[in-house]
Amino acid sequence: MSELIKMKDVTKVYPLGETEVQALRGVDIVINKGEFISIIGPSGSGKSTLMHIIGCLDVATAGSYFLQGKDVNKMNENQLADIRKEFIGFVFQDFYLLPDVPAWYNVSLPMIYNRVAPRERKEKAIRILENVGLGDRVNHLPNQLSGGERQRVAIARALANEPEIIIADEPTGNLDSVRGEEILKILSDLYEKGKTIIIVSHETYVAERGKRKIYLKDGRVEGKG
Amino acid sequence: MFRGFLIEILRSAIESIKANKLRSLLTTLGIVIGVMTVIGVMSVISGLKKNVATSFSQLGANVLYVDKYPWFSGHRSREEWNKIRKRSNLDTKEVQALKEYGTSFEYVSPVIGRRLNMERGEKEAPEVDANGTSEDFAKIINQDVSLGRFLSKDDIKYKRHVCVLGQDVVNTLFPEENPIGNKVKIQGRQFNVIGILEERGEMMGHSMDNVAMIPFTTMAEFTGRRGISITIAIYAENEEEAREEIRWILRGVRNVKPEEEDDFSINSSEAMINQFNQLTKTIFLISIAIAGISLIVGGIGIMNIMLVSVSERTREIGVRKAIGAKSSEILGQFLMESVVICLVGGFLGIFLGASLTKLISIMSNGNLPFYIPIWSIFLGFGFCCSIGVFFGYYPARKASKLSPVEALRYE
Repeated sequence: MSELIKMKDVTKVYPLGETEVQALRGVDIVINKGEFISIIGPSGSGKSTLMHIIGCLDVATAGSYFLQGKDVNKMNENQLADIRKEFIGFVFQDFYLLPDVPAWYNVSLPMIYNRVAPRERKEKAIRILENVGLGDRVNHLPNQLSGGERQRVAIARALANEPEIIIADEPTGNLDSVRGEEILKILSDLYEKGKTIIIVSHETYVAERGKRKIYLKDGRVEGKG
Repeated sequence: MFRGFLIEILRSAIESIKANKLRSLLTTLGIVIGVMTVIGVMSVISGLKKNVATSFSQLGANVLYVDKYPWFSGHRSREEWNKIRKRSNLDTKEVQALKEYGTSFEYVSPVIGRRLNMERGEKEAPEVDANGTSEDFAKIINQDVSLGRFLSKDDIKYKRHVCVLGQDVVNTLFPEENPIGNKVKIQGRQFNVIGILEERGEMMGHSMDNVAMIPFTTMAEFTGRRGISITIAIYAENEEEAREEIRWILRGVRNVKPEEEDDFSINSSEAMINQFNQLTKTIFLISIAIAGISLIVGGIGIMNIMLVSVSERTREIGVRKAIGAKSSEILGQFLMESVVICLVGGFLGIFLGASLTKLISIMSNGNLPFYIPIWSIFLGFGFCCSIGVFFGYYPARKASKLSPVEALRYE
């Protein structure tokens, strides 16, 4: 398997008022293409920070990060945006759907920035929604959907530009266990189809789904499962 | 696919405005008022100008009117006015001198204007604009007769009681018969109708056909001549040259000393239009200033509401960035939104401005034509776009510079 993500000695320091917070203190990670990874750790362990850096939403203070052999630290803002657009799909705990537009439009949003033609955008959005079992919810607004449905819309949105990597930050955090299980099932299916899945969670039953676990504590990787 | 993206941000701008209808409407009020003022004032002034230009050209192109008083007063002090009032009256001796020495103009004619009542039996035409004048006046103002003839040299010489009537007077006094050869009563005296003037239409709501021409010498009998100043109408191909010559001749015949100013005024429709344009220019500039202020205030309102919108939608900006939006695309989205708000305001402003103009036109009984210059509409929209970009830039830039992580964390 080819190396997709390779981090070496990554640190991240945030300014906090007068002092600084060291969120990551030298993280080494290698993730291969097609893996299903769980990043686990208590709150404050630096999981979110690590996820942001992997997802190119943020850059490391020091250390090296290669994504598909490309040096992310040397990229400018626009190049990072391109990476997020083409390689990465995000699923957030709070779904983060746009409230005033229907489900299909939320799913089509990443394609707008990828300059997909409007008709194609809508067709594809509907197709993806059907794949996550929401074929009959295409024109619903987010507030007309249940939490589980909303999260499925969010997954559909993450898939819109056919990214290599899906990063899910506590994807079941706001769902009951049944709905949560549905979401995890969808993510597992995507893994079966060859996507690289990274789940960030502090819940063990969620983390158990990962084929490999990365434990974070106090900004360091504790061990690998 | 850049066009597709533009359509998309336009769509998203419209969605976001629709989601906040009242807020957007209130925000855009300053723009609406500004644009409405610009359109309204420009339309009224343009209409007025058009009207005045056609009206004055009916007075006759290339016609100079020498008068005791200037037509258009402008700014004059009390002393200046007293000086003008003390000028000696213009009389036939000036007419004679102009006829004798003038080389740069062809026709010279004295005119005494009076409002007179005309009667025929039971019928009465009140307040007719009667001109006591000479045979050349028809050529000076380019007035033809539709029937009969105009005044002749002999009519003047022998102080004949003859008249040429305008169409309105004919309609009133002779609704069913040919007036030529019939008699009308003016100031208790019988006048023979010798001709009918061709129709001229209206000027600023005032009929140009409610007129009568009688010999200058006959009119002088009514007015007693003493104490009144006559007008001298002159036709000149070259106005500038004629003005100089008229001044030269009149200063001579009226014994004006070299150091003194002219004690008469040479008026023309063109000079009057120029004066009028000066006046409208001032009105125009003042209203532009008012409109400018309200547009700036409106722009600040736009900036304010866009800042609110950016902070309200910080999370959305974070999401858009997370899924791959570039800073420039976020910038474009918010700029588009502010431009669209401004354009909506501009559209409303143009609509209201046009309605206002229409209303004024109706209230003036059509004396002010409903006329909206196309360029003022383009100017209005152009202004709105500029304001949208100018005042929307700062909030949009603020939105585009948000870091995705912080924007996503924003509660």
